[in-house]
Amino acid sequence: MKIDMKKFAAWFDDRLALTPIFKYMTKKEVPQHEHSFWYYTGSSILLFLFIQIITGIMLALYYKPTLEGATDSIGRIMTEIPLGWLVRSVHSWSSTFLIAIVMIHLLAIWFTKSYRKPREATWMTGMMLLVVSMVFGFTGYLLPWDDLSLSATKVGTNIPMAIPVVGKWVTQFLRGGGDVTGDTLTRFYLFHVCILPLVIFAILAVHILLVQKEGMSVPLKDEIAKKKVPALPFWPNFILREVVIWLVLLGILLTISLMFAPSLELTADLMAPAPEGVKPEWYFLFLFQTLKIFPANMGPVTGEFVAVVLILIAVVAIFFLPFIDNKPEGKKGKIIQYLGVVGLIYAIVFSIWSLL
Amino acid sequence: MRIDNAYFTRRKFLNSILGGWLGAVAASFISPIVKFVWPPYKEPDEVKLVFADYSGMQPGEVKNFPWGSKPGLLKRAPDGSFIAWVGVCTHLDCNVSWVAAKQQFFCACHDGWYDENGTNVSGPPPKPLRRLEPSVEGEDLFVRKPGVGAKT
Amino acid sequence: MRKIRVLYLLVMVSVVLAPLAAVARQSGVPPTVKDKAQIEAAVAAQAAPTQQAKPAPAPPAAKKPAAKKAEVKRTEPIVPAYSGIREKTAVIVFYVWLWFSIAVLIYFLRLWIKEADRVYKAKYYEPEESPRKDNPMDPVLGD
Repeated sequence: MKIDMKKFAAWFDDRLALTPIFKYMTKKEVPQHEHSFWYYTGSSILLFLFIQIITGIMLALYYKPTLEGATDSIGRIMTEIPLGWLVRSVHSWSSTFLIAIVMIHLLAIWFTKSYRKPREATWMTGMMLLVVSMVFGFTGYLLPWDDLSLSATKVGTNIPMAIPVVGKWVTQFLRGGGDVTGDTLTRFYLFHVCILPLVIFAILAVHILLVQKEGMSVPLKDEIAKKKVPALPFWPNFILREVVIWLVLLGILLTISLMFAPSLELTADLMAPAPEGVKPEWYFLFLFQTLKIFPANMGPVTGEFVAVVLILIAVVAIFFLPFIDNKPEGKKGKIIQYLGVVGLIYAIVFSIWSLL
Repeated sequence: MRIDNAYFTRRKFLNSILGGWLGAVAASFISPIVKFVWPPYKEPDEVKLVFADYSGMQPGEVKNFPWGSKPGLLKRAPDGSFIAWVGVCTHLDCNVSWVAAKQQFFCACHDGWYDENGTNVSGPPPKPLRRLEPSVEGEDLFVRKPGVGAKT
Repeated sequence: MRKIRVLYLLVMVSVVLAPLAAVARQSGVPPTVKDKAQIEAAVAAQAAPTQQAKPAPAPPAAKKPAAKKAEVKRTEPIVPAYSGIREKTAVIVFYVWLWFSIAVLIYFLRLWIKEADRVYKAKYYEPEESPRKDNPMDPVLGD
């Protein structure tokens, strides 16, 4: 019996009226210029997000989010469940890849100044997505409940204390109390699997809708010159190229997951002193080092307070970057470009420094 | 050979190779995922117990022992030997208990009864309780699946 | 130009990222084949009581009666390992198949991309500008 695809599609179309979406996909165009390679970063993030969801659900089938059960349940995943160690490895490495590509995406948008009018809201939702991804990583890092992640979480949740007035409340909210305990673990698990996914889907939907609404940006000089940039249709030309990139990224992810599968350390001991070499995940290293270089006391306030305030000011400034950089073609625009390079070098140098 | 008008074009052929291969790659991910989501579950072949815990059993007494994640039932026969069953009802997997007053096993879920040999006598259970083979070896009491010999 | 970009990104990702992250995290050794019995033996060799990490379909590990809550603590990190030579072979075969498939798929995708670009350039779907005068179908590639 021959299945008539057209009739099948027509049945759905009569009820859902999705044809406009497909028509839009064929009409949407992707400009081709010397920087158009960076357009691939957006969909690569979606690829890794998808992988995280699938592997995350698989891991959650066996993970037990309690103080007593957490580490052992991961030990069981790694030893008893077929290929459990590989699923855990993929989930762990895919988080690294995801955040790395998010940062590359941010840098690409920064240097091409794609955040300028009318894409300010896209930038701001993107910044929110960056923060949510890093919180994803932070909450997930605690879940194995080993010595290192416990200490890193203690340090990380202590940082809001430096903020006056609200800091203590924030820390208590994060920890589920005054200290990092089993309650913290359960709370972080809830954030990681329920609250943050809902939040990221909501913000992601807005972000992607904005991207479709505004279209793809072109380099600044082309916009100034009002040059008509040659463009490719999104479907099928650009999608096919994206599939190539996805396949290669998938292969690299699997290679690295197989070669560098993480092991499971010993269960955390709440009473034990902090282990040597306490450090957060790599994407927090530069912030960690920034906190470390400030002296303990700076006049009437702690060094930590100054560091936290500076970091917050920087984050807010970057969040409102499209409004700060309101004249992208001018001198201020150039300075902001160089500031981006400076920021990148600072992040890399401080990250490496924190490991030494 | 050149065909001027063909229904099955070169394009269709290449399209189907591409689509088919893509589908094959996607399908090859299914097997490991399925293995992960449905892990192999094995009942133990044998269970080692401390005989001292059961040596004081009176004839006719029934005690529980762990059989993997299921309860096992151990009964001391009048002649002093042991009989063992998997203490799970053959109807719908509820745990079974020994009612000494009636000398029968009772499943509370749907009012199923088994006699002292584990044979189903009343209620919905379709089959007798599954038998296991207990054997005392020195200080240990081994309970094995029927047919599983002693491991050295 | 584009090929060099792709290569560049690949090199950047795998060379820069992997060692950096592997140093920053606790990286396990490449998994080796370890029999379940071997792991149990290694774990049991510790002086302190150790944790049983697997069930016992084979010779039973010491079963702790439910009444006694023994203090079982693991003293060694759990290193990722294949559960047998079968699993290792399966993973290696899958891995080789995946990269081979990626190569084949990219080969066909490049053909398809070139064709899509050619069709677009020839303005096949815009009858006003197209050299062809017949009615275009819905813009779906293939017949």
